[in-house]
Amino acid sequence: MVQLVGSLRKELADSVSSCRVLVVGAGGIGCELLKNLVLTGFKNIEVIDLDTIDVSNLNRQFLFQKKHVGKSKAQVAKESVLQFCPEANITAYHDSIMNPDYNVEFFKNFMLVMNALDNRAARNHVNRMCLAANIPLIESGTAGYLGQVTVIKKGLTECYECQPKPTQKTFPGCTIRNTPSEPIHCIVWAKYLYNQLFGEEDADQEVSPDTADPEASWDPAQTAARAGASNQDGDIKRVSTKDWARSTGYDPVKIFNKLFKDDIMYLLTMDKLWKKRKAPQPLDWAVVQEMAYIQEEVSGQGLRDQQVLGVKGYAQLFCNSVETLRSQLAEKGEGAQLVWDKDDPPAMDFVTAAANLRMHVFSMNMKSRFDVKSMAGNIIPAIATTNAVIAGLIVLEALKILSGDLEQCRTKLLVPCALDPPNTNCYVCASKPEVTVKLNVHKTLVQSLQDKILKEKFGMVAPDVQIEDGKGTILISSEEGETDANNSKCLSEFGIRNGSRLQVDDFLQDYTLLVNLLHCEDLEKDVEFEVVGDAPDKAPPAPNVPEEDKNIANGNQDSALPSTSSKVPIEKDDVLIVDSDEEPSSSTMEAAVEMGGVKRKLEDVETGGAGSKRKRLFELPINDDDIIALD
Amino acid sequence: MLDTVEKEDTVISEEEAAQYDRQIRLWGLDAQKRLRGSHVLLVGLRGLGAEVAKNLILAGVKGLTLLDHEEVTEESCRAQFLIPVGSEGQNRAQASLERAQYLNPMVDVKADTEPVESKPDEFFLQFDAVCLTGCPRDLMIRIDQICSQKNVKVFCGDVFGYHGYMFSNLGPEHHYVEEKLKAVKPSEGTSDGPDTKKPKVDPSETTMVKKTASFCSLKEALEIDWTSEKAKASLKRTPADYFLLQVAPLPSPFAPSVLLKFRTDKGRDPQPSSFADDSTILRQIRDDVLEAQGLASDLIPDEFVSYCFSEMAPVCAVVGGVLGQEIVKALSQRDAPHRNFFFFDGLKGSGVVDYFATK
Repeated sequence: MVQLVGSLRKELADSVSSCRVLVVGAGGIGCELLKNLVLTGFKNIEVIDLDTIDVSNLNRQFLFQKKHVGKSKAQVAKESVLQFCPEANITAYHDSIMNPDYNVEFFKNFMLVMNALDNRAARNHVNRMCLAANIPLIESGTAGYLGQVTVIKKGLTECYECQPKPTQKTFPGCTIRNTPSEPIHCIVWAKYLYNQLFGEEDADQEVSPDTADPEASWDPAQTAARAGASNQDGDIKRVSTKDWARSTGYDPVKIFNKLFKDDIMYLLTMDKLWKKRKAPQPLDWAVVQEMAYIQEEVSGQGLRDQQVLGVKGYAQLFCNSVETLRSQLAEKGEGAQLVWDKDDPPAMDFVTAAANLRMHVFSMNMKSRFDVKSMAGNIIPAIATTNAVIAGLIVLEALKILSGDLEQCRTKLLVPCALDPPNTNCYVCASKPEVTVKLNVHKTLVQSLQDKILKEKFGMVAPDVQIEDGKGTILISSEEGETDANNSKCLSEFGIRNGSRLQVDDFLQDYTLLVNLLHCEDLEKDVEFEVVGDAPDKAPPAPNVPEEDKNIANGNQDSALPSTSSKVPIEKDDVLIVDSDEEPSSSTMEAAVEMGGVKRKLEDVETGGAGSKRKRLFELPINDDDIIALD
Repeated sequence: MLDTVEKEDTVISEEEAAQYDRQIRLWGLDAQKRLRGSHVLLVGLRGLGAEVAKNLILAGVKGLTLLDHEEVTEESCRAQFLIPVGSEGQNRAQASLERAQYLNPMVDVKADTEPVESKPDEFFLQFDAVCLTGCPRDLMIRIDQICSQKNVKVFCGDVFGYHGYMFSNLGPEHHYVEEKLKAVKPSEGTSDGPDTKKPKVDPSETTMVKKTASFCSLKEALEIDWTSEKAKASLKRTPADYFLLQVAPLPSPFAPSVLLKFRTDKGRDPQPSSFADDSTILRQIRDDVLEAQGLASDLIPDEFVSYCFSEMAPVCAVVGGVLGQEIVKALSQRDAPHRNFFFFDGLKGSGVVDYFATK
């Protein structure tokens, strides 16, 4: 007889309460995970995190409160959990998991390890330790609304490093130094500049014009000549940016003019770069001072940081931040270096200002501090609910492992509910829009066709109509006056009859619609025309074309718009799960028809009348190589 | 109620901006302001209720009322992370209040200890959204009807062991926005020659698109005639959990409905302490429910009973996470809502969104 302890069968409940587990990370996922573990009955938990609590954590790391800001995450997490589960045996480490103290022997103490990390280096490390200790690892990650969970067991599954992961995006030097085309290029440049001026100089983080840019020269000999010339030049290459800045006493105006005027003017001499690109426009400090400040947004509308200052505003911000950073540097003494930190206001101000000034020089729309911070600081938006769901899934996988059901473990993806794919019959966005209209060709006037049908019903603004009669007869022209003579005539006068087709173009909307006309003499009273298959916003079924016959989704008249259905992995099981996040493709629909000869409607069957749209939130068995590991 | 909240009126303080930074970067400032103007009623403070409470409080709603007339028992102490140890005998909502408030002092959290059945209709209309957990079927239908009349958004959810579901009714015309990438525009400004290429448009520029979604009432969602031919044909495609609710025509989905019937008949949910007796009753109800629908009793296998007891914490976390996010989306009027059910099977680890309604 099955015995339960809470929701769990006794044997499982016993394993759960006796085993030891390790949680690596006490942040977004970690807090939720610790809570789930103790509530599920886990008693022996060790948690490790090197970080301290920041106010921006409080929107989701619910074990922490404002008063804990600055304290150790692992420690506070433990204390909070004990509040509602005092019998839990929790050990907290305020430390890095990469510390050699946590060796293979340490890992072997645990039945299972669960990652709740936010960086690849640590994940790689834990991956290797768990392989070495041969214990299961549950790996997970979240970013915004997305999340995933997967189980790693040596010999049974892929390890974390089996598949190459996408590396951090980098940009070519000449893009950063010479030809930026996106705000991110300017932001990266500004961060490099910070390091060149105040931090650790790095040869890979040059900010001055790159004279060796292959795109700049007309022939290889010239590149060499330029490279050689600049060495003698002195200004561009020989003196380091920091030394030069120091020689000016970190004079903000001089620095400004060098970066945004002189260097830009130098770039302009590399004329080949600007043959097909918009050339940058130099900024002169004195000229900027003559400008007016841009009227700032009424406060209260948006966050202060979300305002976009004008050129003058950013020039001022640049100046102020240089002065502040100069003092910071001086305070630290001889040979000092600053390290960039998004949460250090003058550092963030500096990058915001420098990046925006560069964006302006290169004709890009400037960005607010809020947006620059996201990009410069690699901030990943995060909320409580995604972490809550993922942490729930982690524990469910853990229970499978403890039950000895490792083979039952699955990778789980949390995906936002898919939007409905386009209706293949949509008479606006389908690739070849087509529609059928019933009307009386002897009674309908050209004017009516234009005004009531094409403009009013089908939303066109300036339709051009050609009859598909082999002669390309123009029925309506959008040009004023051209076809006015036709307006008061009825359609039949132009040879239009049952089955005629009209090609209607609206060039303004870039929209072409093929209209099939069916002659009808018994339309309802006061009804001038009828769009076949019409319901508000609904398009009629596509005309019979050979491929379409196989498309079962179009078959049923009462069905809701062919929606979901695309790849239908029809299984032998009773439960059929439909993916609705891919575009319908005819090949998969054909496959669906063949399987077991069961002719099922691919859109979800109506349950008493309304269509149901199935969306899968969590994937079942996935052998998907494109799983994104989220840092 | 929501539509009348003027965006200009709500000013976000620097403190809020700092605390909500990571979520403002996801759903935007307007959405955060709407949340900040919303009042929510949460009925039921068991495991699922606590999760929803946490998620809404962290999201930063204006006010959250925790309503529960039950007392804390020894077992529920372990099931819910808001109730401190040693609270046996206290009212559940009251006992959860302090820790709930600590989650975010900027939210006005209240406890109400009266039974929800005793509340007059007007009570519900003071909220922007109502979330019902642990309620009997007929009560949910009644409250849903009251709320629909005044555009109060309704949410229901339950967890039974490894299984859980949520339902939402956002009204016949729910307006929301979605953020889409802006189409590439040619830039203005002087060009330097016939071949001049315009600078690439910033890929991070977006635009808001307005949309509308319609929802049916809970009554319509639950009263599907499974004996009809059409419904029978769709039997294979509905998740079993739907039947758990006694609505859906598929094996799993039947289970919620069986459980709701248990709740109505016994006035409580299946308890581990009376596992043997409750299991027998559950199986009997299953037989009755399926038979009434003209369906075979093996649609819900015998062993399902052992997975319906108590509330599994991780299942509460998952369902509470999805439910919490749906409430956030509805209140902020941003991003497409799930229509209209979400089922979660903790054994399989599969979560499915599905739409059920009669015309």
